[in-house]
Amino acid sequence: MPFGEMLLELLSGLLVSAEIFVFTLALALPLGLVVAGGRMSRNPFVSQLFRLYISVVRGTPLMLQILFVYFAPYYVFGCSLARYPRLLATVLAFSMNYAAYFAEIYRGGILSIDRGQWEAAKALGLSAPRTFLRIILPQTVKRVIPAIGNEVITLVKDTSLAFTIAVTEMFTLAKQLASANTTMAPLIAAGVFYYVFNYIVAWAMERIEARLSYYD
Amino acid sequence: MKKILLMLTAACAAAMTFTGCEKAAEGGAKKLVVGFDADFPPYGFKDGKEYKGFDLDLAREVCRRRGWTFVANPINWDAKDMELNSGSIDCIWNGFTMQGREEGYTWTEPYVDNSQVVLVKVGSPIKTLKDLAGKTVGVQTDTPVQKALAGKDDGNKAAAALGKTFKKLVVLPNYNNAVMDLDSGAVDAVALDVGVAKKKMSDMPGKFELLKEIVMTETYGIGFKKGNVQLRDEVQATLKEMAKDGTMAKIADQYKIERAALILK
Repeated sequence: MPFGEMLLELLSGLLVSAEIFVFTLALALPLGLVVAGGRMSRNPFVSQLFRLYISVVRGTPLMLQILFVYFAPYYVFGCSLARYPRLLATVLAFSMNYAAYFAEIYRGGILSIDRGQWEAAKALGLSAPRTFLRIILPQTVKRVIPAIGNEVITLVKDTSLAFTIAVTEMFTLAKQLASANTTMAPLIAAGVFYYVFNYIVAWAMERIEARLSYYD
Repeated sequence: MKKILLMLTAACAAAMTFTGCEKAAEGGAKKLVVGFDADFPPYGFKDGKEYKGFDLDLAREVCRRRGWTFVANPINWDAKDMELNSGSIDCIWNGFTMQGREEGYTWTEPYVDNSQVVLVKVGSPIKTLKDLAGKTVGVQTDTPVQKALAGKDDGNKAAAALGKTFKKLVVLPNYNNAVMDLDSGAVDAVALDVGVAKKKMSDMPGKFELLKEIVMTETYGIGFKKGNVQLRDEVQATLKEMAKDGTMAKIADQYKIERAALILK
């Protein structure tokens, strides 16, 4: 099989990896904020519930969570999986997982804002939700960007776990091409693709950081 | 907060409706979803855009004759039982060894005789099975030969005794990794299927050789979910037809599988 054809195949796999990446971020970034809110809730029942969620998600392997999200409907409820797309299960599992990590990053960011700002806002007559949205959140976003960037880059590489439930993303294709043609070349090419993908992600994160540092 | 929780509940409910919950139905397949390990030439592998191989070509022909839609679904080999039992795939058809797994599946009759052999590098001091004493030997994960060499197959005492003489039995994720390990010297020998070994030897000529002795004999069958006799019978009937009219031998030639290894009558 010519090398160029292999690269084209790998690119089709990269598309699947990118799909997982984009949908996961679109779901997990906002969901993380919800989880962070729940974790910081004054209601002890709610905060304990979210604490448990974060603890379970961070304490078990993502691979296991992917298997669970895909197979649980059948093994727990006896539902057929015939109309349950594997990609949907993958994105759900990744989003649940990454939301827990994002939540803790957001929480760290929110707690790092001086309490005095809440008091000052209150003295000026701002409501709590307004204070959060207009004063606390914008500062939080700036502070959490580097930590979020770490997770986002990890996510690019974690997409290879999707094959746990037979989603053939780029790394799986690379392995298949490698064994069909008895060559290491597709694996090396996949490595280059991951690096370029992450280089672009890192560049984008830096741009966002620069755009947000409007007071420096 | 309450609002958010309410929204989450609604989203979950919507997701469940979206995916739909039908009770798993069995038999009477209009399409045949074949689960296989795509790291397994010549039985199932990626060729250009398509998945091909001896087993996949057989499956495709069975579907053509029966008027079913053929779906080749590469799976994670470690999750094969979950895939099969949950109905995500209809059968495991991929150089699937029956020995040691007799009770786990509803099997067709064996159709390929596949001995387990030992692959070493050309010029290796290992000439017989005895020479493997104190050596590092690689096997693929979750294969009968791994089970037997690790002493977990009670029916095969000889392989268990042989496995005990090794310095180490290294479990590798797939055959390509095993051959890479052998080539780079990470393992001294690899125990694997004779068909795969011959394919690797023809892909990388002059690099590897086979020991004359074999570790154990094995046969391949097609595994269906335990109890799915109807689908098994349908596939088996068509497969026998193909064995009789020579189609199976023709496909075997195409993948350099010896006709002598075909045992379905």
